[in-house]
Amino acid sequence: MQPFEYRTPKNLKEVQQELKQFGADAKLVAGGTALIIMMKQRLVRPTCLISLSSVRGLAGIAEKNGALRIGGSTTHREVETSSLVRRRLPLLAETYRHVATIRVRNMATVGGGLAHADPNQDPPPTLIALGASVKASSAGGSRMIPVEEFFTDYYETVLKPDEVITEVSVPRLPPNSAGAFLKFLPRTADDYATVSAAAVVTLDRSKKIFSDVRIALGSVGTTPIRAREAEAVLRGQPVKAEALRAAAEKAKQAVDPISDFRGSAAYKREMAGVFVRRALEKALEGFKRVKSAPSRQSKRRGRR
Amino acid sequence: MKLKIVGSPTERIEGPEKVGGQTLYTADIKLPSIIWGKCLRSPFSHARIVRVNTEKAKKVKGVLAVLTGADLPPFRVGLSLQDIPIVAQGKVRFVGEKVAAVAAEDLNAAEEALSLIEVDYEDLPAVFDPKKAMEPGASLVHEELPSYKGFHRPAEMIPNVFAIQNWTAGDLSSGFKEADLVLEHTFHTQLAHQAYLEPHAAVVAVDGSDRIQVWASCKAPFRLKEQLAKQLSLPKDHIRVHIVAVGGDFGGKGSLMDIPICYHLAKAAERPVKMVMTYAEELTAGDPRHPSVVRLKSGVKKDGTLVAREAEVIFNSGAYAAFKPGEIPNLGGATHATGVYRILNYAIRSYGVYTNTVPCGYYRAPGQPQVVFAVESHTDLIAKELGMDPLDLRLRNLLRDGDKLPGGRGVEKVRCRETLEAAAKKAGWKKPKAGKNIGRGIGVSFRHVGGSGEANAEISVAPDGKVTILTAVPDTGTGTHTLLQQIAAEVLTIPPSDIRAEIGDTETFETDAAPGGSKITSMSGQAVLEAAQEMRERMKTTAASLLGCNASDIKLEKGRFMTARGAKRALAFAEVARQASKENGDLRVRKIFQFKSRSPVAAFVAQIAEVEVDRETGFLTVRRIVTSHDVGTVINPLTHQGQIEGGVIQGLGYATMEEVVTESGKVVTANLGDYRIPCIQDLPPLQTVLVEDPAGPGPFAAKQIGENGIIATAAAIANALGDAIGVRISDLPLTAEKIYFALKSSRSAA
Repeated sequence: MQPFEYRTPKNLKEVQQELKQFGADAKLVAGGTALIIMMKQRLVRPTCLISLSSVRGLAGIAEKNGALRIGGSTTHREVETSSLVRRRLPLLAETYRHVATIRVRNMATVGGGLAHADPNQDPPPTLIALGASVKASSAGGSRMIPVEEFFTDYYETVLKPDEVITEVSVPRLPPNSAGAFLKFLPRTADDYATVSAAAVVTLDRSKKIFSDVRIALGSVGTTPIRAREAEAVLRGQPVKAEALRAAAEKAKQAVDPISDFRGSAAYKREMAGVFVRRALEKALEGFKRVKSAPSRQSKRRGRR
Repeated sequence: MKLKIVGSPTERIEGPEKVGGQTLYTADIKLPSIIWGKCLRSPFSHARIVRVNTEKAKKVKGVLAVLTGADLPPFRVGLSLQDIPIVAQGKVRFVGEKVAAVAAEDLNAAEEALSLIEVDYEDLPAVFDPKKAMEPGASLVHEELPSYKGFHRPAEMIPNVFAIQNWTAGDLSSGFKEADLVLEHTFHTQLAHQAYLEPHAAVVAVDGSDRIQVWASCKAPFRLKEQLAKQLSLPKDHIRVHIVAVGGDFGGKGSLMDIPICYHLAKAAERPVKMVMTYAEELTAGDPRHPSVVRLKSGVKKDGTLVAREAEVIFNSGAYAAFKPGEIPNLGGATHATGVYRILNYAIRSYGVYTNTVPCGYYRAPGQPQVVFAVESHTDLIAKELGMDPLDLRLRNLLRDGDKLPGGRGVEKVRCRETLEAAAKKAGWKKPKAGKNIGRGIGVSFRHVGGSGEANAEISVAPDGKVTILTAVPDTGTGTHTLLQQIAAEVLTIPPSDIRAEIGDTETFETDAAPGGSKITSMSGQAVLEAAQEMRERMKTTAASLLGCNASDIKLEKGRFMTARGAKRALAFAEVARQASKENGDLRVRKIFQFKSRSPVAAFVAQIAEVEVDRETGFLTVRRIVTSHDVGTVINPLTHQGQIEGGVIQGLGYATMEEVVTESGKVVTANLGDYRIPCIQDLPPLQTVLVEDPAGPGPFAAKQIGENGIIATAAAIANALGDAIGVRISDLPLTAEKIYFALKSSRSAA
């Protein structure tokens, strides 16, 4: 790793000043779990790290107008263990629990994870399925970006060099909604997903018809992928096994995986179908459990 | 005799130090003015080095030495076959081979300098598949092989083959004639890394008169000293190897690795040099387990009696054979091609083959997990064809007392049946399974207690009665020194806490044993046992004169010397120690244990895995593993069980997930995120059965355990998979994807 300056601004204004001073040679750092490894491997060689950890007001979870607002510097572990998140959106807490190990989750931040934009990460599919948005702020003000539109390529996002993720906002789910996130780990529990799938299902009042469905997948393309055609197959349809199978088929067409050590492209495509169907099934199981507590099942990693 | 300390679970002597971070590993060694060494590695699998320009690198601030092949003597090094240059000379033979080396004040300067070295390569045709490498006209990895030191011309010259071994018995063709059924299968195993926590590291300091000191993550300090003397043309007494803790060996820490280049850098820079491999370097240029191709052909009678076996074992050695010791640098595992079975007619042929990939070395039972996977899979396929229960087929063919193994060694006191039956009983072999897609599979194998050369131990007793064991055996993480402490405590009847182990270096003894093949508990343990016994006798003499009786009337019990007729007067151990020191000065006994020949008593292992397959994804869940071991006296149940569990976990990883993946010879799983090993969540419940028979060749009739956990695990899991879904995967690892597509094609075939 080459030597670098280390700055600890106390507020966003100071962050902007540092960014202005060091320009493209600077990198923002929060938990550092991804960046430091890349620096050690000399994949990135910033001459300055601007730490966000002392910036006031960037961490914490709150509920505002029904939406969950998660500060950009909130750690994965905080989301996972937050009683508010567990109560309001157990799916989100569950998803963050799947990320790496406790050591990593204690350091890695919500904003940092999104800015890193590795398509193998767990939270993005769930955030997309939940309709979450990213709040990015710069000297010129702030803007909201739907997570679905946030990623552009491997490790690439729509963020501009002077933008900082200050918040992730997750809207309240409509009534009669339930969700699920499944992570397929055929090698070891301590791995990135071969395929991950998140599904959020909203049923009509009869609970027999899909009124809305949102499906997103991870590890099967250069960015997380929303399977819109699979969703369309279900919308307005009765809740039946054939419909789920048809949606799974559509999901297979939506993905564009590459072959790597976690599986060949052909295998990942097949598994995308299986895990979309299983995620839908698991989400639907949520309707059977009346007022269920947050899932405390063993970390089975969506194997069955 | 009832054992008191031997046989009781004893915590590691070095445990608190390790947990507390005080244990020194090579990377922790600090010397005044020490600098860093780093290597530039080849991006080509096979290429001629046309030109190397180091001018820019030499100008980097802090750089003290830059060496290329042209700066070094034309030596090739190797434990047996000396085929590896210290830094590539003339050509490179694998991606990751050292092309240049830099020593600098700090790592950054060294890395900066490496990035500025310009190398022009001219690509050469390369070979990656060992079978293709053996074809006539194949491109040669080593044109000059016959000229290498340590080369033994095989009976037949085949391209890229540096070793051929044959073992035969009976008459193969008449054996096959006798058979009712002849079956042939071919199996492939993958490249796998030991994945020890500590990567290879070395520190070398050279003084003005070319005397060198070495600290290294090397399990064999004395062999290292000998090798360095021979291969760097230095007098032996100029080399001192310090013994540091080794952070995991599993067979991989016995080679020279970076030590020769570290020496040359230290000499050129006139400063001590430290080199620590990154894990990327470990995975691309360490000394991993050989991939193999194993073809087995067996003749069997209708009743299940095996009558003939032909085996062809091809070990893909990668670009060099330098990491393998032994007169013929190939892997002993090929002798297991007849398994635990009595087959009167067999012919085994084993090849060591060069390819343009990472050179391979030793890994916990070299060659055996590969061959046992093949043999035990083949055994199940035979049972299936005959419609026999795989357990019954095995029981029908087991080795018997007095049978000869390939290589001519006999086996005695064979406990294979008892071990296998105990495993079957524990696993409920004949009981119905809990559901569909669940299967059970067996793997059986054995190991002999290893040994070679000699082991030393010195026991000294201080006037206060505290005992010191002096040894020059490094601890590779197995708890070796704790076992030595227990053995001495048993003989001297004092608490283990009154005994400490002092770790010497290569000046302490003329030579000493090195961990490998489960030999230390046996060899060093024997040396300690004999030294302790002599010490006891010596102290009895002192006690006798104090008590006014004959030494033969004295017994030592619970740390007290007393007359055999009663405990009227007893002397404490410390009191006798004080008196003896006063009379005779130093209380010190040295013993050398010379290894003469291997005992015919082997230790068998039988494992039964139960797996469940998710047919929709191919995902394999190992529901449980039963591991049954033929053991002698267990000296330390804690470390013994640790060896079993560690072995089974490594075996599970080998079976289901671990693979160093290469593309055109280049390792692409170059970090531990891509090369995965099992984590705690992946482990199934493990049930251990110890089939005790205190008749081992080791101290207190111990048998060995170091490799027994790993050798049959992949076989058991593969057979369980076959039982669960009726589909046979003949190449490791048994990934979900392979299972998924195998199921798919079996469905479309049906």
